[in-house]
Amino acid sequence: MMNNTLTLKILDRFSGLFKVLGADYEKLRLVLGFKLMMDKRRVPTIMQDSRQKENTLLTPFVKSLLLYAFYGLFLIPFLIMGDAYLFQLSIVFTIVMFILMTSMIADFSSVLLDVRDKVILDTKPIDSKTLSVAKFTHIVIYMTQLTGALLLIPLIVSIVIQGVAFALILIISLIFVSILCIVLTAIFYILVLKFFDGEKLRNMINSIQIVLTVGIVVGYQLIARSFEMIDMTLAFEWQWWHLLLPPMWYSAIFELILLQNTSLAMILSALIAIFIPLLALWLYFKLMPTFERNLQKLMSATHTRKQKKSKLMNGLSKWLCRDQKEHAAFHFALTMLRKEREFKLKVYPVLGLSLVFPFIMIFTLGSQETEIDFHFSYLYAYFSVLMIPTVVYMLKYSSKAKGAWLYHVVPIEDTKTFYRATLKASLVQLFMPIILVQSLVFIYLAGPIMLLHGTIIFLIGCLFTAICYLLVNKGKYPFSEPFSFVESASTALMFISMLIVVIFGLIHFLVNLVPIGLIIYAVVLMVCNYLVWRKML
Amino acid sequence: MSDEIILELRDLSISFAGKQVLDRINLKVKKGQIIGYIGPNGAGKSTTVKIILGLIEQYQGDVIVFGQNIRETSVQYKKRIGYVPETGEIYQDLTALEYVTFVGQMYEMKAELIEQKLTDLLELFEMKHVLHSRIETFSKGMKQKLLIIASLIHDPDLIFFDEPLSGLDANSVMIIKELMARLARSGKTIFYSSHIMDVVEKISDRILLLNNGTIVADGSFEELRANREGSLEQIFNELTGFDRHEQIADEIVRLIHGADHDE
Repeated sequence: MMNNTLTLKILDRFSGLFKVLGADYEKLRLVLGFKLMMDKRRVPTIMQDSRQKENTLLTPFVKSLLLYAFYGLFLIPFLIMGDAYLFQLSIVFTIVMFILMTSMIADFSSVLLDVRDKVILDTKPIDSKTLSVAKFTHIVIYMTQLTGALLLIPLIVSIVIQGVAFALILIISLIFVSILCIVLTAIFYILVLKFFDGEKLRNMINSIQIVLTVGIVVGYQLIARSFEMIDMTLAFEWQWWHLLLPPMWYSAIFELILLQNTSLAMILSALIAIFIPLLALWLYFKLMPTFERNLQKLMSATHTRKQKKSKLMNGLSKWLCRDQKEHAAFHFALTMLRKEREFKLKVYPVLGLSLVFPFIMIFTLGSQETEIDFHFSYLYAYFSVLMIPTVVYMLKYSSKAKGAWLYHVVPIEDTKTFYRATLKASLVQLFMPIILVQSLVFIYLAGPIMLLHGTIIFLIGCLFTAICYLLVNKGKYPFSEPFSFVESASTALMFISMLIVVIFGLIHFLVNLVPIGLIIYAVVLMVCNYLVWRKML
Repeated sequence: MSDEIILELRDLSISFAGKQVLDRINLKVKKGQIIGYIGPNGAGKSTTVKIILGLIEQYQGDVIVFGQNIRETSVQYKKRIGYVPETGEIYQDLTALEYVTFVGQMYEMKAELIEQKLTDLLELFEMKHVLHSRIETFSKGMKQKLLIIASLIHDPDLIFFDEPLSGLDANSVMIIKELMARLARSGKTIFYSSHIMDVVEKISDRILLLNNGTIVADGSFEELRANREGSLEQIFNELTGFDRHEQIADEIVRLIHGADHDE
């Protein structure tokens, strides 16, 4: 029955360690065996675009590992290109930490926060220490496989090119990085659950995802900027705040051992690299019993205060919706977009990236010149338009898709009402704030003309939303299909949508060259929007 | 029924967020009894069961199961307990066989014996064909039957049924009612928590009525009915001080009609 015999056999080798930790190894092995079996049937977030099929060899998990192995190939150049270890390995560890942390939060928060365990397992003759250790081991097994898949090929290549000592330091550093990622996530949850209720934690997971995605991209920039190319060699000046960047700690170990760079900064960083994960691990096991007790909070209902409908949304709804029914569907969709956790888990990181990506592009490209020219910076805002196909596509899914029977029993003849309202809600709730923030920054950087550019991009976003709907979701109800059956949007469709964005961008660029072209273009877009939203939706 | 005390609660109290959920509950349950544990929503029924099962630890007082204080003993006492949870929590990604094997092995049963027992039990429930099907494809009633089977597979001495009839068809309800009676006759102790009064009335040897965290009635149905008229439902209403159901129903009808007129 159990296909995880290899993992379990490896685990058997460490049975003594588990006994030292005070766990009942037989029970722990049993729990883990079944947990691993269930994992094989889960669809990890990284594979969210694929339909779950019964395939004993290529399970969703194995497929996700293959994908990680593919990502790992991109690390090879940084591992073999020379001996600027501080730079090269900081990039490698940034990428590794990003992948481990996002995977930890997206796929393994559910393991840490599983309260089904409490009802199913706590009522059985198995002690809580064994359950805690099982939970931790479960995550470690997963993270080991993931890190292994990601780094196996790069590691082999680095043994050949950089030597055994390099590879050995890399392996040991990776173990510490993995521990750090797991334990920091857990400690964060422990602290949140100590002071807040479970509802707050669930909501916070989304925020962490966005912060993490944005944080890592910005962190990557900070690291890249800490190095300057002078005469084709990398120059680096150590600053105190580099101690706040974990990837730098681990790259310091390489610098210290392999290049004998024994500066205080390197020694300090290397020491932190080892002691922080150990300290975190100690803290984790110390806090774990409290955490398990506090998990009870996830099981009890929490009262949320009645949220007032905002006047702005009410006003927009009256202006945007055709009738009372669409108005109701619009508010329903707004609430779903705010509260549907799985939707947020899958869409919000994309939103976070599309918000910051234009700025990163501007400053990255700008830094290479003496003065940044913001004249064409509006074009970068098209990165935000690129998120629209994903959002529109995901709107038909819900973790509570069974509730969609409601659409069929209410007396509404125009079945498009629901999706139309949902599309409008997604524009108002997700797209509009991003364009607004970007426009404000662009206005600050490049002057009031950016307001016109922002308006045009928003109008294009509205038009593109309608086009995406007609391309991918036509005739479907929103929030009506379960996430477990998320089908991959065909690559062709995604390619077409990207092509459309490029065409829009090109037209925008050309129109900008013509006097009053932008105003005429804005008017044309308004008319197009009116026609498409009125006649086709 | 023997005089052996299987379960004892001494001054059991617990409060959540300043609200006293259980207030000094004292109780002794004898071997072979069927206890009907009833009370309005939020009275503390599920909390009592969760404390006895070790799901909730922060309580005051003592819980003695099979003669051992659960605060001082290891988890071994749970080997003799079966539990059907109210919430129907189950690992839906597993097949029926995988799930029950997992649960059985937790109680240190051999996999072969579990499979044999499960196959026979599923056949009795006319569910043998789903032995290898994933639980996520089951109807609510099928899941409930599987939960009941999983709670009994290790032949426990003390069984907690928290709304066990939820989602079951009429035939299955009859089977479970009969099953409870027979299990009690064979010396098993049953703690049956439910809102379905007529079933509690018919199958329980002893009925405990919990209201606002305290036991307000304790005795057989006949004893509860002494000096009173009517069914258990009427006694329940009287003891919980709830007699406004007719008035509330009238109010609802009035509001519905009112909403129509507003349109």
